[in-house]
Amino acid sequence: MTDPAPTRIPRLAAGCRMTQSTDLGPVLLLPESMLRLTGPGPRIVELCDGSHTLGDVITSLQSEFSDADPAMVQREVLAFLASLNERRALDFV
Amino acid sequence: MTFVPRALIAEVTHRCPLRCVYCSNPLEMRSRSGELSTTEWQRVFGEAAALGVLQLHLTGGEPLARPDTEQLVKAGRAAGLYVNLITSGIGLAEARLEALVTAGLDHVQLSFQDAEQAQADEIAGTRAHAAKLELAQRIRKHRIAFTMNLVVHRQNLGRLPQMIALAEELQVDKLEIANVQYYGWAFENRGRLLPTREQVQETIAIVDAARERLKGRMRIDCVLPDYYARFPKPCMGGWGQGLMLIDPAGVVLPCHAARIIPGLSFDDVRSKTLRWIWEESSSFQRFRGDEWMQEPCRSCERKTRDFGGCRCQAMMYTGDPDATDPVCSLSPKRGLIDAVIADVAATTSDAKWVYRINPSNVPASR
Repeated sequence: MTDPAPTRIPRLAAGCRMTQSTDLGPVLLLPESMLRLTGPGPRIVELCDGSHTLGDVITSLQSEFSDADPAMVQREVLAFLASLNERRALDFV
Repeated sequence: MTFVPRALIAEVTHRCPLRCVYCSNPLEMRSRSGELSTTEWQRVFGEAAALGVLQLHLTGGEPLARPDTEQLVKAGRAAGLYVNLITSGIGLAEARLEALVTAGLDHVQLSFQDAEQAQADEIAGTRAHAAKLELAQRIRKHRIAFTMNLVVHRQNLGRLPQMIALAEELQVDKLEIANVQYYGWAFENRGRLLPTREQVQETIAIVDAARERLKGRMRIDCVLPDYYARFPKPCMGGWGQGLMLIDPAGVVLPCHAARIIPGLSFDDVRSKTLRWIWEESSSFQRFRGDEWMQEPCRSCERKTRDFGGCRCQAMMYTGDPDATDPVCSLSPKRGLIDAVIADVAATTSDAKWVYRINPSNVPASR
């Protein structure tokens, strides 16, 4: 799929939310399944609360992971969000 | 090796306004008087969360037959669980739906029997289809995940494209096309329910095409009948490995049908903690690991993937719960399943349906 515009707002889909499991760490709960979140995953999901644009999310991650190549951070954020979108766990409003 | 339960199936009642011919409840049901109270379920949800459970499936019977379903949803959320309501939807007025959503319901799974009213009502043994259609439109207006559960079998698979179209029309997030599993009431009716091999092949083609067409809009899960598989299903993800079921009276089971296995005694949450039952009870340990396995399972490379298949199916067909699941092509008893399939292909069964009974009409039992 083509990348969504940076002004779009990524938001967790209805019935999808993040929780903290005592032994698994951060987990994204989905209808009848779950996804263990690792690395920057929980931070990205946290920002997908409907108040940040895609551009905001990318900028935040680039500044929080300033050691990493900004272009790579952008690619990874987009790929992660696309995979959530494919699973029907995230919408671009 | 330690196992952590991740999902709890809470059969909060066996009462139900429907009488579906493939109901997964046991033939012998719990009466209302023996059901766990609201506070007992509250405690159990807390114990489940402490064990590692993340998802709670409220089911029945019909979970809405209890007056406290909203409180159960709230208790599940308070324990930190993801709450899924598996329902026929019958009698769910808007005020109650709103109360459930406000209580924190994450996901509704609404069952449908068919795309056609007459056929749907015949399977349910009551008039239910029209009410479900009306409810589905109201559910969609709330911000919760919505799955349509469609149980398929020989009598309705010819209308699979219409049923998928109905799911699209109702704008569900997920469509679950579940072939009947042949236990309990469904086993009684298998002569009329088991699809033919041609129907199964056609199902695969229809589902593949629909998945491609609806990508990103609607997810489609599909469960095929294991009678036509070469290898068994990893039943419940392995006995006592990640899932548990609690019946209306609080008895904890590794699966819906486990009670048919002789020699096992199951403990209940009124006399034991959930942790003890999960970790220590003999019934949960009975088929963990591979010590219990016979050949060909024991030396099979697939044993870590399918765990020898379903213990209850082994029991039902071979009389031996330690045997290889007879649907497995490597089972020496596979012929028993092939005989059932051959029967289905050769005959048009005109046997009468055996309808599920309502537990209010049966004496209390433990």
